[in-house]
Amino acid sequence: MSSIGEPDVTLVDLIDRLLGGGVVVVGDITLAAADVDLVYVGLRALVSSVATAEEKGVLPELGSSL
Amino acid sequence: MIEICAITAEPPPPLPESDNLHAVCSAGLVALCTPADEQPLTPSVLWSREEMLEKLMEQCDLLPVRYGSRVEDDAAVARVLAERQGQLAEALERVRGAVEVAVRVLETDTAPSTTEPPASGTDYLRSKTRHAKVATDVHEALGRLARASTQQAGRAGSELLRAAYLVDRGAVGSFVERVAELQKAKPQLRLLCTGPWPPYSFTSG
Repeated sequence: MSSIGEPDVTLVDLIDRLLGGGVVVVGDITLAAADVDLVYVGLRALVSSVATAEEKGVLPELGSSL
Repeated sequence: MIEICAITAEPPPPLPESDNLHAVCSAGLVALCTPADEQPLTPSVLWSREEMLEKLMEQCDLLPVRYGSRVEDDAAVARVLAERQGQLAEALERVRGAVEVAVRVLETDTAPSTTEPPASGTDYLRSKTRHAKVATDVHEALGRLARASTQQAGRAGSELLRAAYLVDRGAVGSFVERVAELQKAKPQLRLLCTGPWPPYSFTSG
């Protein structure tokens, strides 16, 4: 994933895909549902901040967003 | 415990040693697995998984497996492959030669409907309908260039469309050009396009 997309947007899409996509072949996914919910709480804030950040001309710091 | 990262068809692709991957073959399918570890989930952990899958994707068509899919040992992996052979082979066939491109459409803050609250319930509904139509227009225009597409509910209020498109590898360039054209034609929107990704959103029928 290097040819299209801006880095912050790309991280949101990556999380969506790795944690919410892909084929489910086993019953037990080690990442508990609660963990995923936590990730998505952060993600919601991030998605809404993309537009805001563009308006302000800054992009959010992502290092600790997970 | 081992973690299943991806599934492909036999023969297994060459595996780079640095990724600590091994292949388990059964029923004409190959599961690419890595030893399970207990790393905390960080962006760089997720990115290394993604990079590994992208390198593999250059060698073969594959189905990415949901992150965190762990089983006891190779024998358990082989059982999974045998039990789901039909479904997995069908999914692999569906994504053959294609990649996933993600598109999100946000309404920009300059659009009148977000700077002023709707004057009435009717105005609110009218604006909702207009947004739904904009999202549908973009989705349909891009869907025509894709082998398949999926749409999820927008997450934030300003997110009008969150979609994924399964695009032939050779058609990614023209797909991205179409996104750029749509962006130009609709300055009130922000079209966010990322990819090409492994086909995460097209692994089940």
